[in-house]
This record gives sequence, C-alpha cells and structure tokens, in this order.
Amino acid sequence: MSFQSRLTCLGACLALAAGAVSAADSDVARLTKDPKNWAMQAGDLNNHRYSELKQINSKNAKNLSVAWTFSTGVLRGHEGGPLVIGDTMYLHSPFPNKVFAISLEDQSIRWKYEPKQDPTVIPVMCCDTVNRGLAYANGKIFLQQADTTLVALDAKTGNEIWKVKVGDPKIGETTTNTPHIFKDKVLTGISGGEFGVRGRITAHDINTGKVVWKAFSTGPDQEMLMDPAKTMTWTDGKMAPVGPNSSLKTWQGDQWKLGGGTTWGWYSYDPELNTVYYGTGNPSTWNPRQRPGDNKWSMTIFARDLDTGMAKWVYQMTPHDEWDYDGVNEMILADIKVKGKPRKALVHFDRNGFAYTMDRVSGELLVAEKYDPVVNWATHVDMKSGRPQVVAKYSTDKNGPDVNTKGVCPSALGTKDQQPASYSPRTGLFYVPTNHVCMDYEPFQIEYTAGQPYVGSTLSMYAAPNSHGGMGNFIAWDAGTGKMVWSKPERFSVWSGALTTAGDVVFYGTLEGYLKAVDLNGKELWKFKTPSGIIGNVTTWEYKGKQYVGVLSGIGGWAGIGLAAGLTKGTEGLGAVGGYKDLAKYTELGGVLTVFALPER
Amino acid sequence: MKPSRLLLLMSLAGAMPAASAAPPAHPDDFPTSGRVEYVLECMQKHDGKYEYLYKCSCVVDRIARALSYDDYVAMSVALRNQSLAGERGGLFRDAASVKDMAGKYKEIETGANKACAVPQR
Repeated sequence: MSFQSRLTCLGACLALAAGAVSAADSDVARLTKDPKNWAMQAGDLNNHRYSELKQINSKNAKNLSVAWTFSTGVLRGHEGGPLVIGDTMYLHSPFPNKVFAISLEDQSIRWKYEPKQDPTVIPVMCCDTVNRGLAYANGKIFLQQADTTLVALDAKTGNEIWKVKVGDPKIGETTTNTPHIFKDKVLTGISGGEFGVRGRITAHDINTGKVVWKAFSTGPDQEMLMDPAKTMTWTDGKMAPVGPNSSLKTWQGDQWKLGGGTTWGWYSYDPELNTVYYGTGNPSTWNPRQRPGDNKWSMTIFARDLDTGMAKWVYQMTPHDEWDYDGVNEMILADIKVKGKPRKALVHFDRNGFAYTMDRVSGELLVAEKYDPVVNWATHVDMKSGRPQVVAKYSTDKNGPDVNTKGVCPSALGTKDQQPASYSPRTGLFYVPTNHVCMDYEPFQIEYTAGQPYVGSTLSMYAAPNSHGGMGNFIAWDAGTGKMVWSKPERFSVWSGALTTAGDVVFYGTLEGYLKAVDLNGKELWKFKTPSGIIGNVTTWEYKGKQYVGVLSGIGGWAGIGLAAGLTKGTEGLGAVGGYKDLAKYTELGGVLTVFALPER
Repeated sequence: MKPSRLLLLMSLAGAMPAASAAPPAHPDDFPTSGRVEYVLECMQKHDGKYEYLYKCSCVVDRIARALSYDDYVAMSVALRNQSLAGERGGLFRDAASVKDMAGKYKEIETGANKACAVPQR
C-alpha cells in the first residue's frame, strides 16, 4: 500500500515538478486545448481555426438558429471575434476599442472598458478603424488599441494592470492586430505601411509590459535581430546565410527608414521549436520606381526565436513589390505530407496569389502555387531562386509612373487579405476565403511627409474577367501538392475568417451578411442573414453542454475614413475612389455579434 | 465628371422601360425576418411614424415580387456599399457588375416607393 502511494506520489510530484518548470509560461496554451474555450483569436497557437466540438455537424447544421445577439454600439468594420474562457466571453469593438466581459449565463455585462484615445488617430488608419480582437493569459485581457497603446486588464474586473505605447500615431503609426500570447510573452506589431512607417514587432513581458526584444523588418542587421552568418534564407535551391547588410543593400540610400514592412497579421508559434512566425507588409511607397531594389525584408515570412527574437530564417515572397501585395496574412503551422514526405510545414496564403508551403524547421521552400487560376502578375515562382517570375506587361515599375497598368490579377486587396483561413487536421486540407478581383494600377510620384499617406498610386478594381462574374471564392486547398480541391463561387469577396469543426462543418461569412455552413465538399448546408456584412472571424465554444457558433457583423472595412479625414475628393484617401459622403444610415445598429445553437428537441 | 453623369442618366433612362415590362418568374421567397428587417429600417428612415408600418410593408412586398431574396440581398448590399470609403469600397464602386446591381435595385425600390407613397430618402 505504501509502495503504491509512493508510486502515485511519484507521478503527482513529477507532474508538479513539470508544472513548476513551465511556471513562467502562461496558461493560454493549456486553455486552448479544451475545446469548450476559444482562448485565442485563432483558437490555438498554430492558427488552425479548428475546433474539436461536434455537437453541430454536417447533418444537423441546417437546424441552427439564433441563440442570442449582442451589439457593440460601434459603427464601422468589425474584424476578429470573441474570446471565450470558461463562463465568460470577452469582446472588443473597433475604435474607440471598447472591451466587454459578458456572462455566458445571461449575457449580462460583467464589466466594460473604454480607453480614452485621441480621435486624431482615425485619419491615420489606412483601412478603417478595425481591431482584430483581444488576447487572454493568466487572468489578464490584452488589448492593442488603435493609438498603439498595448494594455493589460484584469480579466475579473476590467481594471488596468499595465499600459505601454508601441508606436506614435503622429508619424502614421497605428495598430489593428490582435496581441499574440506565446509562452511568457505578448507579441504585437504595427500598422501604417501607407504612411511610410518602419515595421517591427515587439515582445513584452506579460506581467509588466516591459519590452523584452524589438525586431525591425528593415535596416541594419542588429536592429532586425538578424545574424548574417546564422539567419538563413532560400538561395539557389538551398538554405544559405543571409550575409551582412541583407536589408540595407536592397534599398537606395536610407529609404529603409520609411520602408514599411509592417506587421499587422496573424502570428503563430511552435513550442517545440520555440519559434514564432509572422509576415511583413508592403514597402513604402506604393510607387515602385521611387524605391529601386528588392526592399528587404518587406513582403517576408519571418521565423524568430521567441526568447531572443533572433531571426532563424526569412523568405521574401514579393521582392520589390509593385502592387501592394502585403505579406502579413496568417502563418498556419501544420504537420502534413508535402509531395509524399511528412513535414513540419508552415502554410501561407499570400496576397500575391501564391500559396506557400515551407519547411518551418529549416525555412526551405517546398511548394508555391497559385490558389486562384486568374493570378497573372507572375507566371510562376522559380523554385530554385524562390523568386516570382514577373510578367512585363503587368509590371507597374516597368510601365512607370502615370501609366495605367491594366488587368493585373489579383488586385491590391490580394487573392486573400488578412481574413484567416482554417485548417482541419481531420482532412489535412485548408479552407480559404478569397478575393476574385483584378485591377488597373497607376503609380505617381510622391514626397514623404510624416503622418501623411505615402501611397502614390490610384487603382480601380473589378471582378476577375472571363470567370463566374462574382468577386470571391471560398476554396479548399491541398498544401502538400499545391492544388485546389474545390472552389465555391461567391458574388462578393469573402472577407470573413473561416472555421472548421470535428463535426465536419466549415463556416464562413459573406459581405451580404450571410453566415454559411458548408460540408467538406463545399456543399452549402445552411445560411443565415445577419444584420450586416461579415468581415469578422467565425468562432465556436461550448457552455453548459451546448455548442455555440458566433460571428461579428458590421462592415466598414475601410469605410468612413474619407469622412473622418475631412477629405472632399474621392481619390484623396489612399486609392480611395468615389463618394462616401452619403455614408449609409443602416449602420446605426452598430456591430452585432450573432450567436447560434441547435434548438432544443 | 460631366460626361459620366450624362452617361449615367442615359443608362438609367434606357433601363426604365425594361423595368416596367412583365417581371420574370420569381419565387416570392422573402423570409418574414427579411421583410421585418426592411420595414424596421424603412420606418426608422421616416422618423418611426406609424403610418410607415403600412407603407414600408407595401414597399417590401413589391420588392419581393420583383426579386428573389438572394438577389435582393446582393443587390441592396451593392447599393449600400457604394458609400464605403477607401480601397475596399472601390470593390463596390468600381466594378461594373456591382454598379449594375446597385442601379437595378435602386430603380426597383424607387418604383416601389412611388407606388406605396413613400418619399425617397
């Protein structure tokens, strides 16, 4: 008996010891393992947007009905989605970035937080006053405000615990991304590629907000936390060190200081490799003639050590961008077979229209294929050099300023923007919301003024010609072969993040405002018209034995900026075209979270 | 600006007779929630006056006889989002296919408003 209990103690003590070892870690990784929660914006560290819940399945999804709704009372675009931990939901709003803690029992508001922010930040937000949601760890809620303040709140009371500022809106720096909690750190980025800001990410101590490390996308090696001898990149068919001054030598003079390469996307983290993955945005300006060179490391996939920030490997997808194909989209970590071989892969659906499968350990380029057949700016990615083969007639650089380059696919919105795809470990496939839109693009000469848009191009967009006439598709993708499995046409671009579940249901929202459930073959099972267009991400959770699915409605995207900025001409704001003066009144409802469940039998 | 405005007028005028022709077969499939949503918004636009319960119901019933619910949703969204600013709004403003949807919907709604004595707002 005593021997037995000693053995038991041994097990328990080991568990305790293991717990003690990782005491510095936050609890969020553990919380994401319980599918009743939705503890991170992407559901987990891998950006899977997948849930093990299966009460709602492909047979009964057609019965889904409204369980409850919640209005944020804020207009404009509602991106991201709620977090659910235990019996509480945490929900954010666009500027002024309200935070609500909502009881799942009766939807009463436990607490509300509304930061005081200078509204002059609004006109320097390029693409509407969106916010992509909150993060949670160790009893704290993290909010990345528009004015670049990162704040930690007590999850029980909503009281401020600490605050730090990570940028300066006066020079066009703003923030829209969710904070990412990896281990004992909170990571955040910066927006403002349209204002010539210099992109970077910062890692903060979750307890104090203190900056642990900061890594720029452009500039001198030490400021990028890059080791010329150890940071690797795909070179001539194999991995090789980047060498000294890998960024500096790809810019003219000190243009790298206004280089863009912002970091407002969805990061991921592999605990075994202790590596964080994220992408960088477009180089500034949009007029490529003004910034000769590859403009490194804009448009790049970064792999960094979480503890030190040192770059392990980098891969630039669109050297010398000529179309605003930001590389910030989600980095999805999946262990899949690539060309028959099991790999620890990183899968990334880039705005440039190529879906990349990388070896996330080594950084090798494995697959780069178009995930919309209309993509035409490059014929293919040369697998030896890793460079896209640009088609001369779609090169806005070759055609030059004040020349309208016509028929470029995709448009500057990309074949996909930030709205995150979903990965189902059950099928090994990726479910991807996409744009099916082409553009005419005309760059012009521009001077830099701090805090002013540094865009330098006008563009006009239209549905991909000679196709189904719609502006979007929802697709299933095999990242191991680089092939499309199916594609479901949509009338408008799909700007909502997807969700897959163990019930073999795939959810996504549309700009008409439909939340749709489809089966694994893309067959529509159910749709429901919510109050407004959906650009939020679908989430699911369980409370008291019942599975719920929720999504934010509230379109806006880049809406209202013309009004807020006091612009009077349609083309003044950032490639903005046409009139916004009669801003639709229907938005009075504000953003609404609509929550669905199966009816009681 | 002026020539394009003229063109728009001409295309609207051109489209008018088509609208008054016999409407195509349609399922009259608006869900109750879709009709209620329309009426609520329409009433709100007219200061919540009770008479608009009847007038706005009249409008949505007419629209439902002219369009399937799916087409109505897409076309009304196309019209609403004409006023979205920025690059994303360009998706709605620039694209001929979307402008076309918006234009047709506006025409149908204007006709229904007229028939139901609802002033255009």
